[in-house]
Amino acid sequence: MPSLISRGASRIRRDPRILKLPPYLSLLCILVGVVWLFLLPKNEYSRRTYISENALLPGQVHTYFGGSDQNVFRAYKHEVNALVHQSNIEINDKLESILKGLGLKVGRQNFTYHSAGHVYSGENTYAILQAPRGDATEAIVLVAAWKNAKGELNRNGVALLLTLARYFKRWSLWSKDIIFLLTPDSIAGPQAWVDAYHDAHDSSRVDSLPLKSGALQGAVAIDYVREDRFESVHIVYDGINGQLPNLDLINSVVNIAGGQMGMGTGLQEMWRHDDKYPDRLRTMLRGMLKQGLGLASGPHSSFIPYHVDAVTLQPFGNGWQDEMAMGRVIEGTFRSLNNLLEHLHQSFFFYLLMHPHRFVSIGTYLPSAMLVAANFTIMAIALWLKSGQPGLTSTSGKAENKKSDDEKSDSKTSSQTVERDLFLPLGFVTGCQFLSVVPLYLFNNAPDGMLTLAFITFAALNTILPHLSSHLLTKYYTPTIQQYQLIKSFSLLLLGMFLSSLATLNFSLALLVGLLACPLTFMQPWPRSPVMRGICMLLLDAVAPTSVLVAGAVYWDVSLGTVLREAAFAWDVSGMYSPVVVWCVWWPAWLAGSVTVLGKPPPTPSSGPKRKGEKKAEGVEGKPVSK
Amino acid sequence: MRRFLSFIFVSLLSSCFIQSTTASADYHEQLVLRPLPLSALLASFNFRSNTTLSAFEAHNFRFFPRSLGQILQHAGTRELHLRFSLGRWDAESWGARPWDGAREGGTGVELWAWLEAETDDEADHKWLTLTNALSGLFCASLNFIDGTRTTRPVMSFQPEGDHPNSTVTNMHLLYGVLPHEVVCTENLTPFLKLLPCKGKAGIASLLDGHKLFDASWQSMAIDVRPVCPADGGECVLEIEQTIDMVLDIERSKRPRGNPIPRPLPGHELHCNSSKPYHAGDTCFPVDSIAHQDWSLSQLFGKTIKGTCPLTDPNTPPVCLQVPDSRAVSISEGAVEKKNGDRVSRCFDIPPEADFELALPRPEAPTSPPAQGESEDGIQLLIEEEVLVKPETPLLYAERSFTGHGQERGGVQTILRNPSPDTAVEFIYMESLPWFMRIYLHTMAARVEGQASHDNPSLIHEVYYRPAVDRARGTQLEVRMRVPPASTVFLTYDFEKSILRYTEYPPDANRGFDVAAAVITILAPGSGSESSESDGAGAGAGAGAGAGAGAGAGGGQQRRFAAAAYSLRTTSLLCSLPTPDFSMPYNVIIFTSTAIALCFGGMFNILVRRFVAADEGPKVGLGPALTKLGARLRPAFERLVRRKGRRGVDGVGGEKDL
Repeated sequence: MPSLISRGASRIRRDPRILKLPPYLSLLCILVGVVWLFLLPKNEYSRRTYISENALLPGQVHTYFGGSDQNVFRAYKHEVNALVHQSNIEINDKLESILKGLGLKVGRQNFTYHSAGHVYSGENTYAILQAPRGDATEAIVLVAAWKNAKGELNRNGVALLLTLARYFKRWSLWSKDIIFLLTPDSIAGPQAWVDAYHDAHDSSRVDSLPLKSGALQGAVAIDYVREDRFESVHIVYDGINGQLPNLDLINSVVNIAGGQMGMGTGLQEMWRHDDKYPDRLRTMLRGMLKQGLGLASGPHSSFIPYHVDAVTLQPFGNGWQDEMAMGRVIEGTFRSLNNLLEHLHQSFFFYLLMHPHRFVSIGTYLPSAMLVAANFTIMAIALWLKSGQPGLTSTSGKAENKKSDDEKSDSKTSSQTVERDLFLPLGFVTGCQFLSVVPLYLFNNAPDGMLTLAFITFAALNTILPHLSSHLLTKYYTPTIQQYQLIKSFSLLLLGMFLSSLATLNFSLALLVGLLACPLTFMQPWPRSPVMRGICMLLLDAVAPTSVLVAGAVYWDVSLGTVLREAAFAWDVSGMYSPVVVWCVWWPAWLAGSVTVLGKPPPTPSSGPKRKGEKKAEGVEGKPVSK
Repeated sequence: MRRFLSFIFVSLLSSCFIQSTTASADYHEQLVLRPLPLSALLASFNFRSNTTLSAFEAHNFRFFPRSLGQILQHAGTRELHLRFSLGRWDAESWGARPWDGAREGGTGVELWAWLEAETDDEADHKWLTLTNALSGLFCASLNFIDGTRTTRPVMSFQPEGDHPNSTVTNMHLLYGVLPHEVVCTENLTPFLKLLPCKGKAGIASLLDGHKLFDASWQSMAIDVRPVCPADGGECVLEIEQTIDMVLDIERSKRPRGNPIPRPLPGHELHCNSSKPYHAGDTCFPVDSIAHQDWSLSQLFGKTIKGTCPLTDPNTPPVCLQVPDSRAVSISEGAVEKKNGDRVSRCFDIPPEADFELALPRPEAPTSPPAQGESEDGIQLLIEEEVLVKPETPLLYAERSFTGHGQERGGVQTILRNPSPDTAVEFIYMESLPWFMRIYLHTMAARVEGQASHDNPSLIHEVYYRPAVDRARGTQLEVRMRVPPASTVFLTYDFEKSILRYTEYPPDANRGFDVAAAVITILAPGSGSESSESDGAGAGAGAGAGAGAGAGAGGGQQRRFAAAAYSLRTTSLLCSLPTPDFSMPYNVIIFTSTAIALCFGGMFNILVRRFVAADEGPKVGLGPALTKLGARLRPAFERLVRRKGRRGVDGVGGEKDL
């Protein structure tokens, strides 16, 4: 029986039609991947959210924050307003005295970060409310940054934190310590604090914490800038590098805000959401874009890499909810977190949310990115096989009379594997990979003033580089068609490998890069058609990392300098790895692809009968390109 | 705190002397109340009774609880210390611990005892008996103190009682701790049952599970030790039961029927009216001095029901430590006696009547605060007049984990000596579970602000008994010194081992509790020289310096002078790599499927014969039909035959037509 199978398999393998299949297969993978993604928001493919950890019991308790606490809130608001134009140290002095007056332990921490020639420094203040009957084994964190992620003054947030600190002190039911953290900004301050809490900080830049509590179980950040009454709560949940908090935490907040407080909830700045397909898709795509960029989106983001589930709550919309309602949502969330016996582990850590009540989990969405990544691998393997064959002519020529002398052609093709010349392709692809360190270093270390200039220079160089390297290659090595195939094969193999492993870590980034890089699958040298070469090169230039960056900056109306500075800041402070993916995964593949397009392989001596078969292959491969 | 202790000793000793002359009552009880900063109140209950050793041996129990006494006799226990604790002592604001820390344990349950036994095995056996018996007596999971949680401390604990030299050589100290045990009402009830008045009269009538376990910190202690009077009288076995609790006055004053801290009505808030924005709806709260008025019935929900008739009448049952300037109102019939030290007073209670004690709200500061003075200054001024300033403890200790991730971690203990001129020498003891494998070479002590990482003058001696997987935990005792006015970081790293699937407890994702470290501060004067000369035979067992003394027996005990002060750090929560517990089932299902498939294929190949298509019988629709036809034909023929016969019998003529 095994011999039967192997005979069948070898018959299929030697079928010349198989070798024509990969480009179509790659295209199919991409199409299915994209269609898959667009199917996700439909009811049949997404799921309703549910609370998986029963201990959370969200919204099962009465919340009592209110009444005369509002008088206290107003007083703290006055205190905060009086501090608006003061320095970080003066603000912290005042906050410390208020927190100490409440009977909490207060600590302060200095931090200084250097990024893109700027110095980001400040001082965090935090207070620990020790669990009345507990031991310092676990803690939950309430964060209010003095300035939110957009740089607006978080007046209500800070005043609310102080009022809640006083209110929480009155309860004796806390099983975990509560840490109240006040940071001068939304990204660097929390990052410094969390790093120091886990002793992962660089002590030359960030001070150690004078006071500590137990293992952090969760964190909630308040970003409450607006002064008027609001309608709903916006939950910001994106962490650094696309890491997400446990879905149970988001579900709890949604449940508490919606079920108990009669408040709506919003995600991904969707201020209106009718729970129909277009809005779901938009929410999901926005979430994926944020996840793909991997930037910190609020004070909560820094907590997530340390496996501390965290969200930021922002009020939005015009309604009748006031600060006390926001306080009650936080109170309810803290009561839920307080109930936790174990660290949040039940629900999903990998998901795409498309509505506060709908999500898809990793098992459903992952094939999409995996298929896109697989298209590179399929093409790479196909090219490897192709490069080893002495020309498609031998099989395709005999394709007509194949059935008659099956055995003969079998033995012929299997014996006729040509030797692959590996040195040049491997050397070139390795060189491209090493060259990618240059932009990575450049954009993460250039001072702010130089960033835009450096980028423009690099973009210009980037346009010339493929032509230059192709010219040099042709001049000194005159690579054959086989070597071009191998260059492409290796570069696609690496790309496919990187992207499929990245898809498990940061799905959105892998999908984004995969889609932008998919034209590379269908690139090949056009030795005798300068028009096609030009068209292909133009297409490649359009999807180059540099052009995509510029296009993104123009589309979202931010200056290029800001984008680069943010990226450098996120790299230096938060440890975001997206630049590595862009410059060390995508860019080398792009460069190799461009060089392949510009390649002018000399016609092989046995070109007579070969041309026909090659033409066919070209036609196949050229089709998607011209699309 | 020394003042507190000396005060207690003086009052107890004086009563002792009176009692020894009268020799009437052998039972004493006393409650000491001490308001603490931040509206807290320390209530220390102390119950002490004696029995002569001869009466004890003769099973003649009077004040000594029979249930406990029989257990002690059965298990050959010479000295016993049992602690149930909850919460943490906030040394920063409350100062030194009551009883100099001698009557408290780490969070959970702690038990140490000196057992009389010839060999280690016998001691282990008796220890097992003791823990199991106590487990039943106190409704606590003490029976879970098994080999992995038992250690034999070498330096940290010294016998408190007077033991005759003949028994000392045979005494084995065993120490066990359960950090995850939640102390609750079911432990209090048996505790009160040991008292002669069972919580029905006297100060014990105040004790109530609701209040006790709502306290910010509480510690229940039982200490049994033999005491021999200095004048050569008959030795007695003394049992001392202590309950210390720190009540949050505001929380305790809430009525029992309405314990929810609802916001106060706006007009009842204590506001700082000096703020410019102060208004009817805007209030900057001043909470810290708001709750300095209280009464016993408000705090405990009831008053003291007379005195226990068995108690020594010469010991004042209730004492209060507030400045003499504060007015205190007491119920009729009670007598207030000032102690002369301007910060304490005691009360004699009529035996039958209920006793109530109330502290009215302190008057506002007499002189209006000067303009330049800060708010904190005023606060301090007020607290000075209202409270006795807490004493500074000898040492502050704080322990926490460093690092993150599930492979390895570190422990960092910050030890701060607040004294400006005296160094503190102490023994730091950790008993760690076996799955925390410590790297002893990473243990380092450094003084804050000093660059040198390893300061040899800080660590004097290390006793280390490495863990054995699943058999015993790590025991680490470090004798070290903190220079005056400095902070020392003691750090070491450890590796987390991976447990077997069945070794995880329920709620495995919570993490594993690591018991509190015990810090025993040695009395000044019992420095390294004297102690080393003391422990002549012990030096061999305990390795000096960083080298680890294997100490297989572990029985040798170092002799130090009595501890001056002891404290416990908080316990820690160590998270180990935890599997997803549905995973084993997935694996089982997956492997079963795979095996079923493989087995099916294999079985098929083994039992079937494969033949070429032309060799075998014909398959397809045709043969099947013929077969079917062959089977049907006889039946059909039979049918036809029968029909034919019937036709012949009946209307044969017709058929013929």
